[in-house]
Amino acid sequence: MFNVVRNLATNVNKRNAKEYLKKSKPKFSKNVRLKTMPIFKYPVSKGDCRVYVWGLQEHGALGTIKKVSFGEEGVAFIGTPHRLSFAEYHKILDITCGYGFTVYAVQSKDNKILYGSGINSDSQLGYHPLDEKLKIPIIKEPRPIYIPLKEKTTKVLGLAAGRAHLLILTDEGLFTLGNNGYGQCGRPIIGNENYVKSKVVHCIPNVEGAKITAVTAGQDHSILLTENGEVYTFGWGADGQTGLAHYHNQYKPELVKGDLVGQKIVKVSCTADCVLALSDNGKVFAWGNSEYGQIPTCKDNQQVNVATELKIYEKLGHIVDIAAGGSFCMVLNSSGIVYVWGFGILGLGPEAQRVTEPTSIPSILFGTNISDPNTSVAKIFCGISHLGALTADGQLYMWGRNKFGALGLGHRKDQFFPLKVSVGAKIKKVACGVDHTVSICKPFI
Amino acid sequence: MGKLIKDAHSVWNTLNGIFLVFKPAGIHYLGTLNTLNLNLQRDFNKLEVRPPMKYVSIEGPTNKEMRVVVRDSYADNPLVVGPRFREKNFRMVTVNNLDIDTSGVLVVAINYGTRLRYVFKEFRPTVLYKVKGILGQMRRNNFMDGAIVEKSTWKHIRREHIDRVCASMQASHQKMMFQLSGLDIQSQEAYELAVKGPIRPNDPNIPLLYSIKCINFTPPEFTLEIVCINTSSEYLKSVTAEIGIKLHSTAHCNYLHCSQYGLFHVKDSLLSKHWNLSNILNNMNMCQNLISKHSSILSEKQPNLAMQIAT
Repeated sequence: MFNVVRNLATNVNKRNAKEYLKKSKPKFSKNVRLKTMPIFKYPVSKGDCRVYVWGLQEHGALGTIKKVSFGEEGVAFIGTPHRLSFAEYHKILDITCGYGFTVYAVQSKDNKILYGSGINSDSQLGYHPLDEKLKIPIIKEPRPIYIPLKEKTTKVLGLAAGRAHLLILTDEGLFTLGNNGYGQCGRPIIGNENYVKSKVVHCIPNVEGAKITAVTAGQDHSILLTENGEVYTFGWGADGQTGLAHYHNQYKPELVKGDLVGQKIVKVSCTADCVLALSDNGKVFAWGNSEYGQIPTCKDNQQVNVATELKIYEKLGHIVDIAAGGSFCMVLNSSGIVYVWGFGILGLGPEAQRVTEPTSIPSILFGTNISDPNTSVAKIFCGISHLGALTADGQLYMWGRNKFGALGLGHRKDQFFPLKVSVGAKIKKVACGVDHTVSICKPFI
Repeated sequence: MGKLIKDAHSVWNTLNGIFLVFKPAGIHYLGTLNTLNLNLQRDFNKLEVRPPMKYVSIEGPTNKEMRVVVRDSYADNPLVVGPRFREKNFRMVTVNNLDIDTSGVLVVAINYGTRLRYVFKEFRPTVLYKVKGILGQMRRNNFMDGAIVEKSTWKHIRREHIDRVCASMQASHQKMMFQLSGLDIQSQEAYELAVKGPIRPNDPNIPLLYSIKCINFTPPEFTLEIVCINTSSEYLKSVTAEIGIKLHSTAHCNYLHCSQYGLFHVKDSLLSKHWNLSNILNNMNMCQNLISKHSSILSEKQPNLAMQIAT
């Protein structure tokens, strides 16, 4: 941007110089120099928030209709991180990516604290009068999502999105939108309910009197974390992903059974049907689908319906971050080493397809070397099939299946080990969808 | 060494190898070589040489008894043929051709040591540079002796800004490293190579930065520490200017210092006041010890980089 300003300033300078010269010596304008050189002042970024998006653009989840490239199939995608102009006009506080849609929490003085774009087939982005004109339920650019708030000062505390439902945690409680086919919105299941242009927003003020502190969404189930560190789930339970010791669908939030009793959980991670939970003392618990060996302690059972402690983690040390993908799991320990296991592209080279035991990804791939030994991973993220790690100095490394350029490397080839994504800013948070990625960044200056 | 051996012939036989000198900025490396040459010539001519050859002449009229005279040959007399050691006797080349603007360690190979130059050219060691820049002025050749092109403000720049820009640049260069290695990034070989550590680029002409750090920031001056390969001084100057632009200002370079060239550190190099025969021989001995210690690294030609940058 400042290049433009620079050119403009140079042109203005030249023009002024010429005008000045016209009066005195029009013939020898080239040979005359200005006595004092102007000192340029280049603008500094006003806000400290930028949003970069990349991946599949066809479903509108990237919130921009410009700068797309087309694949062989004629599908629109953005291969490299692209700055979202919507974020220049709003202060983005939080983001989340669902299956083909993106939701932004925005700082605002009125009730428009949520914006969303992407697929709206199940009204997961709410209802808006402008949607009546749309032929297909796809929102190309972010538009407000109205939720019935009592006060204007309400803030968004957490966001989570699943396949076709959205969880919004605010000061006034949890609001759920979208598909309720399995009870994932926390309200009774209605057979053959019409979700298109539905205006239903369900509110869960608290869970058994306890305040909700964080929300996580799986494919078709929802997970709530309360202030006491307890985990409540509801929704689809066919693979045991609700962890309630049965395989039925349930719409009422219920406490997860199993090893979680007496543990204070601080984080829950889930993208599809395998759930990881992290306790405050660095232990990791898992439940749900284990088809790909995501839960190594339960080898005979592929659908674990109670929370199970993964005891092998004692040798990995204190775990500080977790991420559960579609067919793999990833944890980060306190010394900044990333461990992966499961099936698919895990970041251990093209030959490592299936890994049963947690295996560390060499930290040298995250930029640690002799001349720079202090670089280490601070946060980890993952989508269904792509993985990401954020270093302490805000560099994003991504690897995995590169669906429609979701890795942001500028091409559509799969990446078998972590590679840096070129973003011109310090990355603070990344949200991975199925085939797109959105990140909140802080400009360098 | 100089104290014990005073015989020029024996000293000449030991004068094969490489040694390190400190090249100040503003002097061409050929000028440095010239000075070294003159100094060596001076010191060699002070050494003891073999006694002059005897010249036997039979003098006198031929019809009488002739005299046999034995005297020193004029062909050995310095007053007749000039000094015994001359400039052209010393075959000297530099291993790293430091630019005229760059100061720092200059690796000089002498006599039979000149063949080591090709070993190092093939090996392509990493180089540690210290680069100083000044914010606020952009100059024509990105160096302090160029004409000012543009001025801009710099008071908004903080230490963390420059650190962020450096970290981003470093990570981008490490990404480039895989693309320049000449392997298919999706192959197992590429992964195995990546796990071992930094890779040197396939092409010897493409510059690559392995590490770039800001070690001092006293606005408007800043100092960078750059570990790189295949770089020229023009490239380092442009890096400084680029950092200025990324910081929403302008910058130019005013100091380029080569602190380390592979194994050789600037602290071991000889200052110009120490450019005499005994110091050069001692330094050559030290360099030979270093090379023999790391000979395994030098002999193998591998894509992986053995970073010899000391902490």
